[in-house]
Amino acid sequence: MAIFKVSYVIVGNANPGMILNQDHMPQKGDRVQLGTEYFEIIEVMELVPPRGEFHYIHVTCRPSGKKRKIR
Amino acid sequence: MDLNQILQSVDLFEGLTAHELDRVASICVEKRFKPGELITREGATETELYVINEGFVEILLGERFGASARVVVSLGPGQIIGEMALVDQGPRSASVRATSDPTVVETIQRADFESLCQQETRIGYVIMRNLAADLSFKMRHRNLRER
Repeated sequence: MAIFKVSYVIVGNANPGMILNQDHMPQKGDRVQLGTEYFEIIEVMELVPPRGEFHYIHVTCRPSGKKRKIR
Repeated sequence: MDLNQILQSVDLFEGLTAHELDRVASICVEKRFKPGELITREGATETELYVINEGFVEILLGERFGASARVVVSLGPGQIIGEMALVDQGPRSASVRATSDPTVVETIQRADFESLCQQETRIGYVIMRNLAADLSFKMRHRNLRER
């Protein structure tokens, strides 16, 4: 099963970002919760090539309304 | 989920066989923390590597030099803490605070890790390669934050 190690960076907000493993590939336009706040994904890129089952992803987010919960 | 399955979902152990994961599991000790509890303090001399099994933690910088601590990143399941001290044997570079209830980590003592690596050099090679990749990933994350 693929595991996505995701680096979340937030723009336009003091949130320091997050790194976590998740079981799905994040998509541009998705809304996620990091801590107590909600964000919209505005950029997704593969940071480095996959190794085994692990995919290394970078996501940039901006503040948004509620929807999918990560944390 | 048993410990081997947990370890399989952590990229630090990517490339290890089932037998090798058993060997790693044999030196892991589970610890649980409540929200707000410090897992490790900046400047402390400690020897454990932590693998986050469940929950989230905040990495805080600044306390050691009298400044008010600031959160520089949060880490979730599958991430590791304490890897710098494992490599360079220096003091903790940051404080780590649990933020979820519960926060569950697997701890590996440096002495146990080094002993295992000496007995099974392939395990040592694979983990050290993955450790370098993890440090690189964290640096890339920080660089992208600074864009």
